[in-house]
Amino acid sequence: MSCKKENIYLPGIAVVEEVRDEIRDVKTFFWHFEDPVPDKSFRSFMPGQFAMVSIFGAGEIAISLPSSPTEDRLFFTTRRVGSSTGMMHKLKPGDRFAVRGPYGNGFPMKQYEGRNLIVVAGGIGLIPLRSVIIYALHNRSRYGKIQVFYGSRTPKDLMYMENLKQWQADKGFECYLTVDKAEDEWEKNVGVVGSLFKQPGVEMPLDNTTVFVCGPPIMFRFVLADLTKMGFKDGNMVSTLERYMKCGVGKCGHCCIGQAYVCTDGPIFTLEQIRMLGEVI
Amino acid sequence: MHGRLIHKSDILKIVDHLRKSFIVYAPFVGRGRDSFFDEVTDKNINTIAIHVANPYYPPKRFVLPHIQKLFKITTGDAPAIEPVEQDEKIAVFGMRSCDVEGVFHTDRFFLGNAFGDGYYEQLRKNLFIVNMVCTDTGSDIDEDCFCVCADAGPATKAHFDLQLMDLHDESGDFIAVAGTLAGEELLSLPFFHNASPHHVARRKAVLSEVRKHFKTATSWYSAATNFITRGKISDATWKKVGDRCLECGGCSYVCPACTCFTVTDRPTGNNTFDRVRVWDSCALSGFTRMAGGHNPRKAVHDRRNRRFFRKLGHYFIQREFTMACVGCGRCVRVCHGDIGMPSVVEILRRETAGTVSKEIL
Repeated sequence: MSCKKENIYLPGIAVVEEVRDEIRDVKTFFWHFEDPVPDKSFRSFMPGQFAMVSIFGAGEIAISLPSSPTEDRLFFTTRRVGSSTGMMHKLKPGDRFAVRGPYGNGFPMKQYEGRNLIVVAGGIGLIPLRSVIIYALHNRSRYGKIQVFYGSRTPKDLMYMENLKQWQADKGFECYLTVDKAEDEWEKNVGVVGSLFKQPGVEMPLDNTTVFVCGPPIMFRFVLADLTKMGFKDGNMVSTLERYMKCGVGKCGHCCIGQAYVCTDGPIFTLEQIRMLGEVI
Repeated sequence: MHGRLIHKSDILKIVDHLRKSFIVYAPFVGRGRDSFFDEVTDKNINTIAIHVANPYYPPKRFVLPHIQKLFKITTGDAPAIEPVEQDEKIAVFGMRSCDVEGVFHTDRFFLGNAFGDGYYEQLRKNLFIVNMVCTDTGSDIDEDCFCVCADAGPATKAHFDLQLMDLHDESGDFIAVAGTLAGEELLSLPFFHNASPHHVARRKAVLSEVRKHFKTATSWYSAATNFITRGKISDATWKKVGDRCLECGGCSYVCPACTCFTVTDRPTGNNTFDRVRVWDSCALSGFTRMAGGHNPRKAVHDRRNRRFFRKLGHYFIQREFTMACVGCGRCVRVCHGDIGMPSVVEILRRETAGTVSKEIL
């Protein structure tokens, strides 16, 4: 295990295939590894895992994987917020960057087999949960009822529009959308994500259900309060934590909270575990 | 115990011998209390300090350098990422027991978990440790040392290659013990001679005498671990600790068991970068700040309790076998707010006992 032979910090060179504008300040980058060997091994990741992405000249950042291992194409979706994502948003098809991973525990999708899945996402919180939805739909027969509740600020801030349209049309599961502020031609619900739970016709099974929650801190807190009031147990609610990370492999110490490293012990935790960690969101 | 003797006038012959195959570092005396590890040369070899206050800048840097190049990165149309190897062999002469235990802790951290760190392993593999037991109560040990409480000293039981200890008798002999095969080889050199059971008994006597001279007693360590692990320390207590933190990061930089680092790309030319890792500290406000400015650990006391969770949390002790404190006392000496490890353990004891004395309020 010298740094030449087996190097946990060595990323593989990746090529941008295509760049898509998702919503304002958010872009999706389709990519693959230059070398087919890491490309093949990388694709065995689980929903909820993440990768360390090097943007040359800016540094290395942790980014979640929105694609599902059941899909053909790999991609990242990022919002332009800092210097690295700023540089990332300048990438064009054919440009090179570097990736290592996948890291983190991921959602234990095998363990959830036979259960009902409820996905609650707010804004760009849909990015890590998209993987769960696609994965579950691909293996539809293994899961019970599947419900998706997704909210954003305005109709223009709804992400993965193509998927949303497909999901709305899909009879195999339920997908509810809401926006905080409606604009013209919006016929669906207006209000926070939690308001969807009380819509007529929405029946959320309490028993044998796992709830996935991801979104901005304020949405997170309100949704959790709603769900708890409805009777969902902390151990059955899961989320993915976001922390500043410099290594992804439990060494740099930045993501360490309470008694866990978010990168190796997480980023997926049940609400029960999150409460134990002490430091929230 | 298999011990050999070496006369104090022959001690530096060990350094001479090591210099044939290693770059040797040893402690030297600076001004006042100051001391430092420096590379041994023909010029300075005779000024190596045997009994000396432990340098503030810990020998951790020989396995985890302050700044370490990981990769050379070339960007452009055909980017390349080339790992940087460091294959020089280093021997540290006169490493104190606390620091030897510190290296053992970082060994466990970097090599004992799921992901093995190749950079650390390479430096560690090439490191030869000559441990000097602290026996001189006037220079080796000062009032802030508390290795006895952390089960690290004054004489560590393992993890060195060779251990030397002054017997403080009229013969002027040091007793030497090998911890590895490489250390064992050294013992067959001609300047070592046989030890008798009398010398082994003398070693024991010196150690038990030295143990009496430690002033800082943090006997409440185990309870502190217990309370921290169970989350029984109130926010108000952590706030008291945090209020005294000046956010300088000094405690992390001098700590032999702190491992946190940050990674950054430094430009070296138009399209070349060095990816380096640099020591980092959880005391600094940017430590957890994410892109966009959100910082889950904004308040200083949130960051301070982090240090003690990491050092004394049971989960980490299980993972690394030892708590991340070796009792070297450096944090006590450098902290301007007097929240080195023993002070914090003492604060926790008082606070949890419900008897808060006035001076820490």
